[in-house]
Amino acid sequence: MGISRNSRREFLRNMACVACSGGAAAMIPQLRMMGTAMASTSSLTGYKALVCIYLQGGNDSWNLVVPWDSNGSTGRFDVYAAARNGVYNAQTNNGGLGLTRPAAGNAQIVTDGNDANAGTNKYFMHPNLTNLASYFKANKLAFAVNVGTLVQPMNMNDYKLATFPKPPQLFSHADQTNLWNQGNTDGNSAHGWGGLCADDLQAQGANTKPNPQLSLCISIAGANRFEIGKVVNNPYQLSTGGLANLSAMCNQTPCGTGNNSVRDQALNELLGATYEGDFAGEYGKVFGGARALFSELKPNLGVSPYNVTTTFPTTSLGRQLQRVAEVIKLSKAKNYATRQVFFVQIGGFDLHAGMMSNNDGNGTTAPGNANDHAGLLYQLDQAVGAFWSEMGVQGLQNNVTAFTATEFSRTLQSNGAGSDHAWGGVQFALGGAVNGGKLYTKGSTTNGRGVDGAYPNLAYAKMANANPNAFSRGQLIPGLSVDQYAATFAKWMDVRPTGATGISSIFPNLANFPGGTLGMLPTS
Amino acid sequence: MAVALAAASPLAAASVHDHIYGNHFDTITDLPANANEAARFLTQATFGPTSADIDKVMHLGYGEWIDEQMGLPATLEYNTVEAVKTAHSGSTSQAYRLNRWYWQAVYAPDQLRQRMAFALSQIFVVSDADSAIGQDNVPMASYQDMLAKDAFGYYSTVLNDVTYHPTMGKYLNAFHNVAPICSGSGVNLVCTTSPDENYAREVMQLFSVGLVLLNMDGSHKTDANGDIPTYDQSIITNTAEVFTGFTYGDAPTGIGGGPAANFYGGGSTDAGASKPMLCFGNEYFSNNNPQMKHDVNGDGEVGGVGLTVLGSNGMPSDTQIPNTVTPGTCQAEVAYELSVLASHPNVPPFISRQLIQRFVTSNPSPAYIQRVATVMDTAGKDLGDVIKAILTDTEARNPPALANGDSYGKLREPVLRLTAMWRAFNAKAPAADSFGEIKMIGGGNFQSNLGQNPLEAPTVFNFFLPDFQQPGTFADNGLYSPEFQITTASTTYTAANTYFGFTAQGYQGYTTGSPAVPPTDRPLIDLTSLTQGATSDAQVNVANMVSTINSSMMYGSMSSAMSTSLTNMLTQLKAGGTGGPAEMAWSAIYVTMLSPEYATQR
Repeated sequence: MGISRNSRREFLRNMACVACSGGAAAMIPQLRMMGTAMASTSSLTGYKALVCIYLQGGNDSWNLVVPWDSNGSTGRFDVYAAARNGVYNAQTNNGGLGLTRPAAGNAQIVTDGNDANAGTNKYFMHPNLTNLASYFKANKLAFAVNVGTLVQPMNMNDYKLATFPKPPQLFSHADQTNLWNQGNTDGNSAHGWGGLCADDLQAQGANTKPNPQLSLCISIAGANRFEIGKVVNNPYQLSTGGLANLSAMCNQTPCGTGNNSVRDQALNELLGATYEGDFAGEYGKVFGGARALFSELKPNLGVSPYNVTTTFPTTSLGRQLQRVAEVIKLSKAKNYATRQVFFVQIGGFDLHAGMMSNNDGNGTTAPGNANDHAGLLYQLDQAVGAFWSEMGVQGLQNNVTAFTATEFSRTLQSNGAGSDHAWGGVQFALGGAVNGGKLYTKGSTTNGRGVDGAYPNLAYAKMANANPNAFSRGQLIPGLSVDQYAATFAKWMDVRPTGATGISSIFPNLANFPGGTLGMLPTS
Repeated sequence: MAVALAAASPLAAASVHDHIYGNHFDTITDLPANANEAARFLTQATFGPTSADIDKVMHLGYGEWIDEQMGLPATLEYNTVEAVKTAHSGSTSQAYRLNRWYWQAVYAPDQLRQRMAFALSQIFVVSDADSAIGQDNVPMASYQDMLAKDAFGYYSTVLNDVTYHPTMGKYLNAFHNVAPICSGSGVNLVCTTSPDENYAREVMQLFSVGLVLLNMDGSHKTDANGDIPTYDQSIITNTAEVFTGFTYGDAPTGIGGGPAANFYGGGSTDAGASKPMLCFGNEYFSNNNPQMKHDVNGDGEVGGVGLTVLGSNGMPSDTQIPNTVTPGTCQAEVAYELSVLASHPNVPPFISRQLIQRFVTSNPSPAYIQRVATVMDTAGKDLGDVIKAILTDTEARNPPALANGDSYGKLREPVLRLTAMWRAFNAKAPAADSFGEIKMIGGGNFQSNLGQNPLEAPTVFNFFLPDFQQPGTFADNGLYSPEFQITTASTTYTAANTYFGFTAQGYQGYTTGSPAVPPTDRPLIDLTSLTQGATSDAQVNVANMVSTINSSMMYGSMSSAMSTSLTNMLTQLKAGGTGGPAEMAWSAIYVTMLSPEYATQR
């Protein structure tokens, strides 16, 4: 009962790992050519930056944008409120997770441009997302609804079949975070789709900076799995405080004649020497390159005339996005790259408890409890707002797309103080190229799998007309896959469709989803 | 018809290396030619040479030194970590485990064993980066201890103990993995769950055979289509059925009185959460007992056809768990599966090559891999024999002369650059604090700043891949450079700043704060081998300082160019007269730690 070698080879090819035959370069000959960066012209046109805003902990995203239509009982808002154990009220219903329905005319009410039906096309956004609501209305922000990890489209009957392919370890933070970073559900991978996109973009000449090289991937949130490629194998990390100095060495010119300068000279000699051995030589190159990069960035990054003029919030996310804006400004001015991928992160979304503890609904003053969902969304909105303003000042709103990712959404049903791990949820993308003012729910098409063009039915369990694809506490089987969502951004960034480093390799399961990528971004 | 068993995870008989002084009165034929050669050997085999160890190797020779090391019992983490945790009222901080690990790296006498455990932990990866085990500081200490105890035993023992350890169980989801819940049979078989495949996948891909068939010299077997995969998805799915039924070692089985069987019980103490997992199989329960969680013969059907698992004869034809194996006994089926894995011909080259990469060189010659793999195969996969073969091999002991395009050796792991410096300069650990903890790491986040930290890899793929090829010279020439995967524009800086904290801010005589006191969260190095007791810059002998750096940190391999740079630096510092002898000394150490030559091990 042998298994054909061809099916095994297919399996090997699909393994998204480098621990296979002889390393990446052996498997992908083109990677050998990507050696040292030289100043080059890019075959890509214009400049584009992708900013991943990772919401760590599993964002309760069903409260980002909520259906507004209501008749007191069977309207979609009414179903939402019932699903969430009622509208939250600190005195009378402090276990409820529902947001208060705003009155007609409220600024948070938005219209879904993908729905012509006036009876169903109104939604309201969380009261603290005031900036994001205005961007939605300006058609610069779009929502992807009911996105989650999937191997292929599925419904509840599929889920019940042991043999039906489904992502491993649903509801597990670590595993789902990995899958979101991988952009596919093929087990464990050492790489993330952001880094793999950078590989392809680098092969197309996106890195136009002469030595010392600056990675196409930049992180202000430390090491992450999103930005690990095979060649662009690590992001360049900046902290919210900016560039870190090298201890006991020179970090600015002039350095003076003190002891730091003496040590610095010795270090530079050692790093710059010619070595017969490959390891020593390459190490000297990497560290020497890092020093040269630092010297180049330090006087300029965030320094006039490359400083940003918008005032950013002093929250962690605010300062992270400020650094992103500074890197973009400097990169554009100096023509470092034609494509860049950024990673920032805000944590605290794992709100099993204390989710609604301060739903003051008012974003003009800092919410009293910054750790509840309203507080986190306020931070998110303010930071993204400042970033978007700054991109306007830099004239780059059409060149930048920011998007959210989170390992899973949360149960519609309250546990009495918050919500628990779920699956499909809502994400948003913001950018001048975004086909905004719309909710994208396009799923796959047949046999009750996915949601086709409509906001999902939030009823579950014993509620009337319960969604058959919802579990007992209001966890929804996704209608859109992470693969589709992520590939949408990859395409916009001009990652090539095929080839060893192209979209079909980065997202090997994409073909499983007939819906393909989302219409919320053009493909170039 | 449950059968009571003693232990769910019998250990294979440990191999023994009690050859202490076996040849003491015979002529020793493998003495190092000089202290530098001894120091170079110890750089490979320990966490860094010390003058005492150099002396010992000079007298015993390599083989006897290794044998003596193997005779030393394992230094263990568990009791210390547990005690500190208890003193901290049950805090789950991993710092307790890490501080203990670094203390052992610097001070434990069983250096080779601890190095071997470190190497094994980079193959059989578990990590507290995973929230499933991130709070399990004490069980993770027991995982480390298991590797240390098994370091010189049989590979099959390691594979068995790793499989049954609850930390690995939780990390890769064998823990609480259950047989499919099925009804019907044949074409009408409907199952509502299927076993998690994570452990099945990684035990083959990473812990035993790897993805492609290998020759004994590490090269890939090929046919007309190229590489030959070792297995495919169906094998993984079948193998996943074998690793079902695992739970905490103290989960009640209801056998012989005591609490009623509860698959989801146990594990509420560190002891319970650290002991080898139990498997709820036919050894305890009959097939229709709801507590029966192991997949009987696989495929969900009671008494069904045997599963197809990995082929064991090197060709992709598969084997079935024979019905002669005690039907449904989890222990027997797991043992059978593990023996299939352990006996696969890929194992010697797959494991040998990675061990060579951790100790000696990133690009062993095929002949070197073959020599070591042959030893592994011949000795019943005795890891003690393997590491001895690795370290005594001519390719380890006789490096080629440096010449242009030399690719021998490796980048030193950032953690080992630090421990070697501590050992070279007799770092003195602070006294234990009021919680019984000896602090070593200065509160630093080494995983972030160095790119690695014991049992903290970002993924099951370790800190770096065996096949990583740094773009440029390495990738262009088909050479491997695993440690370069974590050597980036960012980590060169953050690692340097970390090293600064343990040199310029970590020597005996350094004080900080107001009132000024020595730091108590890190060991303090002794600079007197460099300063020779000088009390002013003028008294410092620069040439001696440089040559001491060379012999104690670089086994005499410092190039004349590096010597010149250091000499010039120290001469200028001396002439400037503002820093004092201590600053001259830590400057020499710090700059050396950042240098390409120290970063390299050849």
